[in-house]
Amino acid sequence: MTVRVGIPRALLYYRYSPFWETFLRTLGFEVVVSKPTHRGLIEEGFKFADEDTCIPMKMAFAHTINIKDQVDYLFIPRLISLDARTCFCPRLAGLPEMLKYSLPALPPLLNPYVDERYRNAGLLRSLTEMGSSLKRNSKEIKEAYRKGEEALQVFRKKMGEGEGVAGLFKKVDREDSKGRVAVVGHSYCLYDPFFNFDLLRILKEAETSIYTPEMVSEEEIDSKIRELGKDIYWTSGREILGASLHYLQSKRVDGLIYLTCFSCGIDSMIEPLVRHKVKEGGDKLYLHLMIDEHTGSTGVFTRVDAFLETMERKIASRRTK
Amino acid sequence: MKLTVPHLGHMDIFLRAMSRKVGPDFVFPPKTSSRTLLLGNKYSPESTCLPFKFILGNFIEALEAGADTIAMITDHGPCRVGMYDVVIQQILKDLGYRFDWIVMDDTRLWNDYLRRFNRERKKKGISFWQSLQAIRFSWKKVRLCEEIERMAHRIRPLEVRRGETTRVQTDCLRRVDEAMDDKELDSAHQACLKKFHGIEKDSFRNPVKVLITGEGYMVINPHANQDIVRRLGEMGAEVTRTMWFTSQIAYALHLDLFNPKSKRKAIRASRPYLQHNLGGECNASIGYPVLFKREGCEGVIQLHPFGCMLEAVAKNILVRVSEEYDIPILTLSLSENLSETLIETRLSAFIDLLYKRRGRNRDR
Repeated sequence: MTVRVGIPRALLYYRYSPFWETFLRTLGFEVVVSKPTHRGLIEEGFKFADEDTCIPMKMAFAHTINIKDQVDYLFIPRLISLDARTCFCPRLAGLPEMLKYSLPALPPLLNPYVDERYRNAGLLRSLTEMGSSLKRNSKEIKEAYRKGEEALQVFRKKMGEGEGVAGLFKKVDREDSKGRVAVVGHSYCLYDPFFNFDLLRILKEAETSIYTPEMVSEEEIDSKIRELGKDIYWTSGREILGASLHYLQSKRVDGLIYLTCFSCGIDSMIEPLVRHKVKEGGDKLYLHLMIDEHTGSTGVFTRVDAFLETMERKIASRRTK
Repeated sequence: MKLTVPHLGHMDIFLRAMSRKVGPDFVFPPKTSSRTLLLGNKYSPESTCLPFKFILGNFIEALEAGADTIAMITDHGPCRVGMYDVVIQQILKDLGYRFDWIVMDDTRLWNDYLRRFNRERKKKGISFWQSLQAIRFSWKKVRLCEEIERMAHRIRPLEVRRGETTRVQTDCLRRVDEAMDDKELDSAHQACLKKFHGIEKDSFRNPVKVLITGEGYMVINPHANQDIVRRLGEMGAEVTRTMWFTSQIAYALHLDLFNPKSKRKAIRASRPYLQHNLGGECNASIGYPVLFKREGCEGVIQLHPFGCMLEAVAKNILVRVSEEYDIPILTLSLSENLSETLIETRLSAFIDLLYKRRGRNRDR
């Protein structure tokens, strides 16, 4: 019988899933991913989650509960830092322990870590440790690692070209599009349709072109952060701020939507900076959507509608000029 | 240059002593009050944490009082304190204040601060030896301040007339602050011991021992934690505080290697529960209860600002520590909206629980 490994569809699943899934599959495990977020799953999971954390974290709890009884192992990587300058949110680094001590009857956790900043501990090494505990030899692991990397590259390229997650939206950068909107935020805010009330689909149906942080190259983000004068040390914060600055200066984009979640530490520091830059620039529309578990869909729809309408009017007035 | 810094424990006493001897000139923000929080709250982004609001309020009040240079310690994550400087500078500039900003962090920018300090020193014609002496004297002073507080923590639950210890403590701190040289400091020390000795105590009481741990700013500053130490003392609990201004500095400068109760040891003690050091006080919050349980500590209160990135992790893990070490842990998430009554109620329920656990009723 094949060993089943579960991956909760939460947090950085939306960013690194191709790597994780390909890696585990190549090693011969059966990968079980939790169901896309839905109401019932949330209601079950939020009971166990700590009330002080952010919703994405609570969702991670919910998704873990969703699959914990169907699998032999849970794959919860400990993400600390990818390079010497940046690090992930500390809650991600503490996630394995948070789950382990808060949820009852969990299967054993697999938590490889990546920490290039503090311990110079590469991903491959910790994956090798993890793999050998599951009786896989280092050659197999290296092979799986390579395949995973490839899958991640393909995924990145697709995201960079604007094909989005699982063909959710296609880049509609046409002349007849009704406006061009940059949507920024953490990957787990942008690509979880339940979390953001399917914002990307709303925008797509309104025939706007959508730009995401993934479409901005790393060099461009680096140069924008350098202009700022302060090194942003969060991986996601850096990307969000760099991409926002890029879009605010680019002529292609008419408006910026920043999707944040309540009680996110990173967003609370990055959002004021973005807002300030919007005011300084003065020619872009800006919508800050903060979502918590009490946010109703009506509120979001109304605000997005108003945003889109203002944008349409602005474009029309520009055309007549 | 009129330098200002945010309030952090007895840092103002330390810096005032330095400034008297070798400079630079300081304009301290007025004592943190409800107005400070009001100002900070008004101009902060809505979802920042409580320390941000206090610090911003401190800066606004200091600039109103005539400061023109702000110094602030920063770091490189993962806690958001490393981003405070950018956001606060922007808010203050938008409010129309003009000021210089000195960033103090552990890398090259320390030089910026030390160079300025050195220039100031030479201008005043003070020798290097004298400035070392000044640092030693100020350090001794702030250590004494913390000693006084520790004494107050021990005596407050025993006092017969409520509030006497707090009065003595305030008085002693003022005397220490006023001492100008070693001789005066020593005599102030003796006077303080005498005063504390003079407080009428009921030595038949056997107060429960409570440990206060959690996020540093919240633990160190009475204004941020609703004066929880005094409240607990008056409810009949002997408080041990884990975080002090000097302990934080000692940790940062690696001066606490031989202290059995240091933050470093606490981080080591947390390893069975959290292998990786996440930064901030997260690991220490987990480790301190383990260290102090051996010392006979009976209950733990974890303080953190609402939405803290790190303490939320610690909170989840402390549940397990509580089970394994059989020690009750109360987590208080502090925000600007927290009412005094709520704190009082929760604390007194917690203290009641601790007394019940002893198997006998409260003896007050």
